[in-house]
Amino acid sequence: MNPRFMRFCVVGAGIALLCAAAIASGGAAAILQYRKEMVHLSQQHIMLVLYSGGPAIVAGVLLGIALTRRSLRRFCEPVMQVLNIVTAIPTLAIIALAMMALGVGKPPALVALFLHALLPIVRNTVEGLRQLPPAELECARGMGMTPSQTLMLVELPEALPIIAQGVRVALVINVGVAPLAFLVGGGGLGDLIFSGIDLFEPAMMLAGAIPTAALAVTLDFLLSRLTRLLVSPGIRNDDATVAQL
Amino acid sequence: MNYRILAFRNVLSAAALALVAGAVSAQTVVVGGKGFTEQQLIAEITSQLLAANGFKPDKRVGMGTAVLRQALDSGQIDVCWEYTGTALSNVYKDTEKYTPEQGYEKIRSLDAAKGIVWLKPTRVNNSYGIGMLRAKSDKLGIKSISDLGNAYKSNKTMPIGVNAEFSQRPDGLPGVQKVYGFTVPLDSIIKMDFGLSFQALRDGQVESAMVTTTDGRIISFNLVVLTDDKNFFPFYVMTPVVRKEVLDKNPKLAPLLESLSSKLDSETMQKLNAAVDVDKKSMESVAAEFLKQQGLIKG
Repeated sequence: MNPRFMRFCVVGAGIALLCAAAIASGGAAAILQYRKEMVHLSQQHIMLVLYSGGPAIVAGVLLGIALTRRSLRRFCEPVMQVLNIVTAIPTLAIIALAMMALGVGKPPALVALFLHALLPIVRNTVEGLRQLPPAELECARGMGMTPSQTLMLVELPEALPIIAQGVRVALVINVGVAPLAFLVGGGGLGDLIFSGIDLFEPAMMLAGAIPTAALAVTLDFLLSRLTRLLVSPGIRNDDATVAQL
Repeated sequence: MNYRILAFRNVLSAAALALVAGAVSAQTVVVGGKGFTEQQLIAEITSQLLAANGFKPDKRVGMGTAVLRQALDSGQIDVCWEYTGTALSNVYKDTEKYTPEQGYEKIRSLDAAKGIVWLKPTRVNNSYGIGMLRAKSDKLGIKSISDLGNAYKSNKTMPIGVNAEFSQRPDGLPGVQKVYGFTVPLDSIIKMDFGLSFQALRDGQVESAMVTTTDGRIISFNLVVLTDDKNFFPFYVMTPVVRKEVLDKNPKLAPLLESLSSKLDSETMQKLNAAVDVDKKSMESVAAEFLKQQGLIKG
């Protein structure tokens, strides 16, 4: 099946499920009574994702590039293992640990989300750069390109679709993990979700859950569009990964 | 006799033992509790007391007030410790001014109709309150909730730490704002998990925060509870609450729980809470020590 069609089906099914839940919980009116909070908290939520995801993209891509350079290549596996372990620690535990050092509020949540986003970005950057055909690199060298020119003009553009996949995965997961920030006073849509659970108000829960899901889907869509724009036309259609975008 | 026969005999006798044990097996009692220290601790104390008296306790804590009540109504839990003011204002939306005794009688008769029994209460009044660091309260001259309201009315930015429940409950922040006639701006309401508000207060990340008056950290963190000068908060008398069906099946249960509730008052409860939150002792050891010291279980 066409992957794009499949994604369409999954998103459709998800939205249908949420609508069903919304009707069961007393309808849209019950949910919309929280619209003031929904707007306010969605803004906080987006800030949490951007302020943790932005630095994670910068740090993750730089780290990925560094780890594939000839001189640092031997550190690649150990560093990836460390990142794997960090990601395996439950986010809630990282938030709690960060809270010990940074107090309550947004900082511990941002640190935890940053660490959570790092692994997919670094891994995809490394994999994207590694899978380049050696012939292309040789070709670049043969044309007299310096290492930095090779990186900027050949390696990164070639690896971009895969790096972008990693960024998408990282940010979309971040949208879903960010509700935990509420527990340490970091705000965000977790406020409505957790209050809804505590107060047994399904409408309140959905008032937090639906915008969270919508944010994730929208962000995924926007990032896929952005990737299509950025990927060089020359390689847009010669790679299975790109075809999925 | 070869080994196989020996093994077979062992299996048989084990099965027979299991059957006998099953016949006199202990009655399982599900003990529910909310998420904060006092609730987890009292659920642990109750579980240990039940276990020592031939019951099989099954402890489930960490719920919010509404979820706990739902679980009690639907029979998913059998016993919990609830506060009179909490049940009146949240289950029955009754915010009348009652004395502790009136409040207890009121909720007892309301819930009796639903097959939920309020046993003899403790002398613990664990009220909501708004706390501040003593130093800060002195410096700003904020001694009562009215003073705090005046600060908000003069547009001071004062972040207040609250949990999800308090920010929404009729006997929480919405009620406080209505009765005292002030509004806390949305971005000054810092919501977080309940236990954290004390840390946030101590570390100066919020100016004031919701507290519960029997929390052990009020003394050790040098906090003051602002005077509720309009008598907004009701009395929250902690009481063992059991489903009638369970009480009828287990006649021993009511006297057992009442033997515990009679030993508890606000001061005792605050000391027990402090043992967990301040002295960092485990719930299990604090519970066991208390029960032994009160002669409720044999050491």
